[in-house]
Amino acid sequence: MTRQEYIAHQRAAHGRKAVAVLPIHYPKELLTALDLLAVEMWGPPGPPRGEEAGRLQSYVCAVARNALAFVASGRAGAVDAILFPHTCDSIQGLATLATDFGGWAGPSLTFLHPKGPDRPSARAFLRSELRDLASGLEAVAGRALEPSRLDAALRLHREIDSLRGALLDARPRLAVDDRELTALLRRGEWLWPGEHLAELRAARERWPEGAVRPGVPILFSGYVPEPPGLLEVLGAAGAFVAADDFAAIGRRIVREAAPPAADPWDALLDRYFAAPPCSTRAADARLRVRHLEALLDRSGARGVILHVLKFCEPELFDVPPIREAFEARGVPVLVLEGELETELSGQTVTRLEAFVEMLAAGRAA
Amino acid sequence: MLRRVQYEVAGRAIAPAISLLESWQRRLRQRRGPSRPSPFGPPFESLRKLKEIMTRHYYQGRFADGAVPVAWVTSGFPVELLRPFGFHAVYPENHAAMCGVTRIVPELSDAVEARGYSRDLCSYVRTDLGSIATGKTPAGRLPRPDLLACCTNICQTVLYWYRALADHFQVPLVLVDTPYVYGTEAKPHHVQYVRDQLEEVVRVAGRVSRRKVEPERLAEVARLAKEGTDLWADCLATGRHRPAPWTGIDGFFHMAPIVALRGTEECNAYYRMLRDELRDRIARGIGGIKEERHRLLWDNLPIWFAVREVATLLASRGMNFVCTSYTNAWAEAGARIDPSDLVGSAAVSYTHIILNQDLPNRLRILSRLAREYAVDGAVLHSDRSCKPYSIGQVDLKDRLSRDLGIRVLLLEADHNDPRAWASEQGENRLTAFAESFD
Ligand code: SF4
Ligand code: SF4
Repeated sequence: MTRQEYIAHQRAAHGRKAVAVLPIHYPKELLTALDLLAVEMWGPPGPPRGEEAGRLQSYVCAVARNALAFVASGRAGAVDAILFPHTCDSIQGLATLATDFGGWAGPSLTFLHPKGPDRPSARAFLRSELRDLASGLEAVAGRALEPSRLDAALRLHREIDSLRGALLDARPRLAVDDRELTALLRRGEWLWPGEHLAELRAARERWPEGAVRPGVPILFSGYVPEPPGLLEVLGAAGAFVAADDFAAIGRRIVREAAPPAADPWDALLDRYFAAPPCSTRAADARLRVRHLEALLDRSGARGVILHVLKFCEPELFDVPPIREAFEARGVPVLVLEGELETELSGQTVTRLEAFVEMLAAGRAA
Repeated sequence: MLRRVQYEVAGRAIAPAISLLESWQRRLRQRRGPSRPSPFGPPFESLRKLKEIMTRHYYQGRFADGAVPVAWVTSGFPVELLRPFGFHAVYPENHAAMCGVTRIVPELSDAVEARGYSRDLCSYVRTDLGSIATGKTPAGRLPRPDLLACCTNICQTVLYWYRALADHFQVPLVLVDTPYVYGTEAKPHHVQYVRDQLEEVVRVAGRVSRRKVEPERLAEVARLAKEGTDLWADCLATGRHRPAPWTGIDGFFHMAPIVALRGTEECNAYYRMLRDELRDRIARGIGGIKEERHRLLWDNLPIWFAVREVATLLASRGMNFVCTSYTNAWAEAGARIDPSDLVGSAAVSYTHIILNQDLPNRLRILSRLAREYAVDGAVLHSDRSCKPYSIGQVDLKDRLSRDLGIRVLLLEADHNDPRAWASEQGENRLTAFAESFD
């Protein structure tokens, strides 16, 4: 079933409206609680298509350019609204360009992250911002947000995160290849959360934990694992992903240390601040480095691959501190740059293979 | 104590002496031979004063650390809140522009690219971090900061940039995060958020400077800043006259005090002098270019390393940039400042600056400038380094030409990195644009 068909099916079978969501972080719990289907737009991959592709300059990232081309071509017509989280300057610009100057004429919503650390002003702002977004979503959904439904949504997403986290933690010992696992996790970008949860539960049963997989364990970080061929090449070269820090995957799994607050709005706030450090929420790069080091230590990964999107300022800024920190520890780092291409270039394949070969040789030595 | 004496002597005696020497040398050069024919009007008398105060600012800055508290500040930060605490404010963006004009950016950028900073990052950032890494600067030396003050009302980039600075210098970073304004007015909880952060700024500034400041002093600086902004607006407004007494390119250079010295009497005295000179030029019929046939608007940052080249090419065809959205931003930033409620009014004012507002607002500003300054063309600098300023320009170009019936050129370049500017190609595009007016 294509996404368009899925959206139509959800509408017909459950009366659910759909909201297209630009990357990356947003309070999905609010949408779930209002019975709104979130369909994320990480692309689509490939060169931007259609007449509108040129409205964003070539030095803007492929995510923003492709999204504009996609939306303006009318192909987002199946959704009832678009949500633009304030991820970066490019999405901020896209939000006004597409809605004010043409491309998307339907309802549009924004969600602004408090940039910077967890501080009282940020908490107060976020609380109001969440309420504000909730009222915008209520208008789209045509129903009021009931605290009990928000509570239920929080529980659902906690369970999803816990299963996703468990799958990622067990990854080196799971009898499944990286591409299949990634595809499963990324289905959460558009499946109704209840259905995603069912798939995760089934996968947990289907893929028992065994011995650590053969090959070179890698810590893979980046924006979004596109094209999926990245993972195939890695596997064919004799490596596997032992730890994931992709913005689209690992960085969105919230692991709450403290028991959830009784008030659902407090709980939502706590979940927000408990999320892993991410450049697009302007987390301090030093926190991200520490997070990555912990991932590396836990997973036994022997090398780090950073897959950044060309022109993505938030991610590009994190490259030097991450590289410096790992190189200081003697951990090799490979930085790859992508543009949401559908096929990997020969040069990228060669660099990946050479990197894995180097790590494998290090083990032999 | 010794450091403080050095700082004062540098500002009061040595910097003026350097300026005097430089101006004497300049005059000597002028006397030596006939200057090349130029399409521009006569140079400004105020230029000498501008050089003097900026030389003093940078020269004194060399001795600022250890003498007075030093803050490195983003251009959109409400510096009015820091001045009363005695901070010497350094503007890395202004310094980076100096590096751009002196064409040392590729060398500085190379140094940080080797450390993994991508060439796709804003060239101001690469310039600044490169200057720190290599120690090279046209300013001689920049003082080490005690505080980093960052406001995201111009872009998110500054936050990543200042984080890198905080990491390098190991000093506190005070952040004012200004939520982007969709629509004409910021939402109340957005303004409240900024206000809360500004109150934090005052607390942190007091802690770092170890000073207490009376509210009257804050109000006085706010008054000065507001007056400075108004004076700058008066200077810009003279460009409405035909012929305009100066060029937008002059404006790029004369804006240095409103950026770096806002909230000081020195800044205001300078703009009084400049305004008077501009009015005098109008009275005497002196134009920014010798023969003004067409009037243009410039959008976005200047191309610092080619600013003269671009202006000369067009000026020699009778075209003058009589207004720019960039210099205009400094005339609008302080408009809402209320000295009796500095924190509250700064929260509103600094949230509503051009780069923190949506595209309809940008279109409104550009259209208003185009009408008020009666331009018949516009050049939109599509700056590959500055996404917040450049996104939307393709549509803005179409709308400006459709709504106002003016010719608009989208010129692709970079404000600071000459490696992203194809000089010949750029000149060809500008020439073709100019010829389209004939
Ligand atoms: S700049 Fe980066 S974070 Fe922003 S849309 Fe592009 S890829 Fe995503
Ligand atoms: S040039 Fe643009 S991106 Fe760079 S610091 Fe200034 S506003 Fe930000």
